[in-house]
Amino acid sequence: MHGGGGRVALKFGLALFPPDLSPAFLSTALRATWQTIAYAVAGLTLAVMIGLPLGIIASGTIFSSSSRLRLPVIAVTRLLLAGLRSIHELVWAVLFVAAIGLSPVAAIFALGLPYGGILGRIYAELLQEAPGEPLRALRAAGASPWRLVFYGYVPMSLPDMVGYTFYRFECAIRSAAILSFVGIQGLGYQLQLSLRDLLFDQVWTLLLFLVAVIVVVDLWSGRVRRSLAS
Amino acid sequence: MKRLLAIVGAARPRRGHLSFIRFSIYAALLLMACSWGYLLLGTDSRLGDLFQSQTWSHAGSFLGQLLGLGSDRTPVYLQGSEWAEKARLAYKTLAMSVLAIGIAGAGAMLTLLPGARNVSNGDLGGRPSRIGSLIYYLVRLLYTFTRAVPELVWALIVVFFFSGGVLAGAIALGLHNFGVVGRLSSEVVENLQPNPARALRAAGASNLETLAYGILPQAMPRLITYLLYRWEVVIRTTVVVGFVSASGLGREFRLSLSFFNYTEVTLILLWYLLLVLGVDLLSSWLRRRVRFG
Repeated sequence: MHGGGGRVALKFGLALFPPDLSPAFLSTALRATWQTIAYAVAGLTLAVMIGLPLGIIASGTIFSSSSRLRLPVIAVTRLLLAGLRSIHELVWAVLFVAAIGLSPVAAIFALGLPYGGILGRIYAELLQEAPGEPLRALRAAGASPWRLVFYGYVPMSLPDMVGYTFYRFECAIRSAAILSFVGIQGLGYQLQLSLRDLLFDQVWTLLLFLVAVIVVVDLWSGRVRRSLAS
Repeated sequence: MKRLLAIVGAARPRRGHLSFIRFSIYAALLLMACSWGYLLLGTDSRLGDLFQSQTWSHAGSFLGQLLGLGSDRTPVYLQGSEWAEKARLAYKTLAMSVLAIGIAGAGAMLTLLPGARNVSNGDLGGRPSRIGSLIYYLVRLLYTFTRAVPELVWALIVVFFFSGGVLAGAIALGLHNFGVVGRLSSEVVENLQPNPARALRAAGASNLETLAYGILPQAMPRLITYLLYRWEVVIRTTVVVGFVSASGLGREFRLSLSFFNYTEVTLILLWYLLLVLGVDLLSSWLRRRVRFG
């Protein structure tokens, strides 16, 4: 801790009583909250669009087991998914902003790619865990591998897939909040501004908004998962 | 849409759950429409730029600069001395991640019992007390708060108290992961077999003895597994926290990006991938040892 660290920490802690609740700042905070949610939702939509096809391919269910393409295609898709998710969303954001400029589209891509990698991997695992009997029945009735995927694997794994996507929504909100580091609007951006001006009471207001959003999303996604599982 | 609902509904016939799931799916679709609409139309999204050749030639030249094409200097990522130089930073980054996991693990260990409902309400054989349940709610509140705030925001705040460096970054990472691991491990304790602890209590064991012989032996493997999982997440985030706390690979990434040393950026990304891959392998190996060892 540096020389004045203790004093700053005390001042920071005391600023919670009370946080800045003036109407002007509350409307700023609400707007920033909505922006963060919008980025999280848009990024997650893109992630599903990336993760679902790649996940289906990576699970190997669209190939008949004798196909020679099966192993190489699975290996390449898995490698692609691993590459997407091993780079942090903020690093993606920095690269996208450097490449295509600072715009919401860059932020959506920065969120969508790593989350697509995560979702794709989990979807692939869920598809592989689909129970075997109905699939065997379909196969015995002469269904092609594609039919098997869309009438067998996907419907059976769908509840788990929906549940997991909802679970990731909470993480996406947190990730969207920190995209401010490359200049994207939202809760993180306002936090940075308030911290820079040493307005700790505003910092607390923004933190409370963030916590509230996370708690609501957590409760919602938890209830969705329980309803799907029961 | 109808198909999707039919599938979800067919698998889960119960009435109340079905209507909640239907409500959730409609709400999610509405949220999606609003979000995309807002971002593409309500902000200066410059979506049109994506379809202009100029944007893509910029992107292409950026990629070329990352690879060091068209420059007569040797790319940084082909110089052995630079690799060795960055190895030192990678080591610092690794140290930060281990320190962060240590902080998170120690914190979770300390709050493990007060944060578990079955301990505070006496289901494991202790005596329920009002103070116990008060502490339970406080610990849960602490978990929720530390978990909801992302690592990077913690880092922004922590550098105000500590000057930048490995420790500040580790504390920021540790705070967030304390919330994550703490909540998970309290749930582990809540789902334990209560019989060993109850039996020990009945035989007159003290608090500490019940913890050591009734709870930890069951909970420990799961706990270590969670910590190792989190380590894989933490190593990815450590680089990003380095942006703020000014240490390790993250600081160097930011510096070389602002100096337009793009081939150095490539080298740092390579080191980053190596770290991530190495930690993933090490952690999965350790997790197998925990499960079967």
